[in-house]
Amino acid sequence: MLKGHLDMIVLAALASGPAHGYAVIQEIRRRSGGAFDLPEGTIYPALHRLEQTGLLSSRWTAADSGRQRRVYALTRHGRRALANQRAVWRRFAVAIGELVGETSHAAVQHIH
Amino acid sequence: MQRSSIFTEYLDALAREMRFDVPLSRRVRREVEDHLWETIANEPNTDPIEAQRCAVARFGDPRKIACQYAASSFRRQTRRGGVITILALTGTYFGMKGRGAWYGFMQWGLSDHLKDLVATWIAIDLNAFRMALAIGIIGLGYIASRRAPMSFGPGYRRQVKGCVALCAATAVALLVSVVTDIVITGLRLYETRLPAAALVPVLSIAAEVALVSMLIAHIRATIRRIAFASSLLM
Repeated sequence: MLKGHLDMIVLAALASGPAHGYAVIQEIRRRSGGAFDLPEGTIYPALHRLEQTGLLSSRWTAADSGRQRRVYALTRHGRRALANQRAVWRRFAVAIGELVGETSHAAVQHIH
Repeated sequence: MQRSSIFTEYLDALAREMRFDVPLSRRVRREVEDHLWETIANEPNTDPIEAQRCAVARFGDPRKIACQYAASSFRRQTRRGGVITILALTGTYFGMKGRGAWYGFMQWGLSDHLKDLVATWIAIDLNAFRMALAIGIIGLGYIASRRAPMSFGPGYRRQVKGCVALCAATAVALLVSVVTDIVITGLRLYETRLPAAALVPVLSIAAEVALVSMLIAHIRATIRRIAFASSLLM
């Protein structure tokens, strides 16, 4: 389930501003309250894939340690894709909530 | 620069698994190295050797990571193949049309004993080009309709091989077309007395040869990459 939403998770983690891979992983952990403890190596191919599809841009920067660091940022196309995915996810979450009895029917009607 | 044999071994293993795309593997190596050092910098109270082992273990199996990179690498490679195929087809088309227009403009006729011979070669040329165009269009449609999965697997390898086969079939037909173009141009130049005017057909032929060579080189590079990436599936 998590794998199917990996792109949205990564985009959401970058919504607050540019970040390098390690910071993206930390942000996902922090914002999910530790629930999403993804294998770290899966984030980098996802960042690369999203960059190739034009949803992210990246550039090398120098870290305080002196090492070269790749920093990723959402592109305009990426922000639009994230907004669309968020809207789809909210509809999905409310519908599932309704199905399992967590959300009122009125909320579902409101979303539609 | 800090050094760690644990990190070096891990990064070497990752680079080995990613030899299907050497420029990408160099970039990934630098990026992952930074990640691993950042990980242990954020765990100052752990034993350094143990922290390095944990960082490598948490990052994951190099082969699985390489498989994920391979999917996006081959997506780019096949799309680039599609672009080069379009360039080779349009370049050859405009080369042929341009030479025809140039011969007309220069009133560059042929002697009677060469006319029949050239007509035969022109027929071969046109049919070979039409075949290249038809296969090329099918190939471009195939490339555009395929979606790259998250990870490189046997199914995606079959798709990439399909793209390569279609590009190779296009290249063979295009090569026949370019070779016949060379023969036709050679026959015309054989009896020409206009060496300066011959520069235009010679240059257009050179451009066609360069484009087809580029397509063949790309196909060869993709086949080599597939062979390297196939080792990830063993």
